[in-house]
Amino acid sequence: MIYLDSAATTMQKPPQVARAMARAVGRMASPGRGGHLWARRAAETAFACRQAAAELFGITEPERVVFTSNATHGLNIAIRTLVRAGDRVVISGWEHNAVTRPLHSIGAEIVTARAPLFDRAGQLAAFAQALEGGAKAVICNHVSNVFGFILPVAEIAALCRAREIPFILDASQSAGCLPVRQDQLGAAFIAMPGHKGLYGPQGTGLLLCGSEPVPLLEGGTGSASLRQDMPDFLPDRLEAGTHNMPGIAGLLEGIRYVRSRGTEVILRRERRLIRQAARELSALPGVEVFEAPNPVEQAGVLSFRIAGLDCEEAGEYLGRQGIGVRAGLHCAPAAHRSAGTLETGTVRVSVSDFNTPGELKLLTQAVSALLKR
Amino acid sequence: MVYYLIVCRSLTYAQRTAAALERAGITAHILRSPRAVDREGCSHSVKVSQRNLANALLVLGRAGLPPRRVFLIQGDGGYKEVLL
Repeated sequence: MIYLDSAATTMQKPPQVARAMARAVGRMASPGRGGHLWARRAAETAFACRQAAAELFGITEPERVVFTSNATHGLNIAIRTLVRAGDRVVISGWEHNAVTRPLHSIGAEIVTARAPLFDRAGQLAAFAQALEGGAKAVICNHVSNVFGFILPVAEIAALCRAREIPFILDASQSAGCLPVRQDQLGAAFIAMPGHKGLYGPQGTGLLLCGSEPVPLLEGGTGSASLRQDMPDFLPDRLEAGTHNMPGIAGLLEGIRYVRSRGTEVILRRERRLIRQAARELSALPGVEVFEAPNPVEQAGVLSFRIAGLDCEEAGEYLGRQGIGVRAGLHCAPAAHRSAGTLETGTVRVSVSDFNTPGELKLLTQAVSALLKR
Repeated sequence: MVYYLIVCRSLTYAQRTAAALERAGITAHILRSPRAVDREGCSHSVKVSQRNLANALLVLGRAGLPPRRVFLIQGDGGYKEVLL
């Protein structure tokens, strides 16, 4: 299997991730729920994971690193903390349903700062213009999960800070391969999955809290048990119920892997692979590739479509050839609307640190064979 | 040996407290707070020896981790709050 769907979840993990998870299953209980060895071991692992994430993402207080089930979970906490019905919220045109569905559910007034694909200056100008009307919050993804477009989030965050507007960053596609620094962004919240670029297992995510959050779940925390409201301190305020210790143990190893490799090394490798795929695919007749004119504007995600061929059929064909890609709308109809691909969808190729040039070559050969059918 | 308990609001805060002390060369053990010192039900404490208490309070003050409350573990097994 050639796996090119890492924007959904990375499947090839450093081997120490699975080993740590297996150890946790047999040897870790719930952190903070007892003084015995297995509870202490869980507590030490959870704290080590918070600390490692805090150092990677520029957080001075590790208690502000909260464990979630995935990025969607974290985004829901962030959005429901800051947004009420009727509030004006400015988002980019590249957002995932993890952002837009909660906003619709709440009944927010959604204002889209729309700009052409891979136009970072235009994107920033669109946010500046949209913010002239004020906003209760700004929500922006760092990297489009469909096109790999790297949005100018440092500059957008600066716009927000200057206007004292809370900023929520969706780092689903950037955590682990781009610099994501809370100390530089000053974001109210940064949500990310643990199972993509951080190479942890599915069922893990992190929410970095720059603001005081409202809990989405309520229940036991192993702290302040006499109180019937949730603790007013982090991370307990957001971590009701038993922790996913196998997941956290795996995530810790994934973060350690990313830190030892270096995000810039991972990004460079992924970019090289994506440029190769773009170059080879675009040489095929009838294949339209969505490649950034400037390589620094695109991370390890690439979309393409084939004239006269349904993207889902192409995805199915490649799957049968043992190549895992993702076709369709990628849970991001807003992004496809912005790029003009809503009617057709695209085939998405997304890489990780474990893919090779040879695998991308085989992808192009398979697409070429598909065209000749 | 006489020991003191530094009561922390959360496990994570206790872990930060213990880590700061260990970095300063002060032995510190995390434990669940005895019910006798725990006002809200379920919290964690960091246990340090008497000879390290003054230095520990200094280290924690510098690290921005001021203790909420500190208790002396008495010889009879009771706890006496120390006014900071």
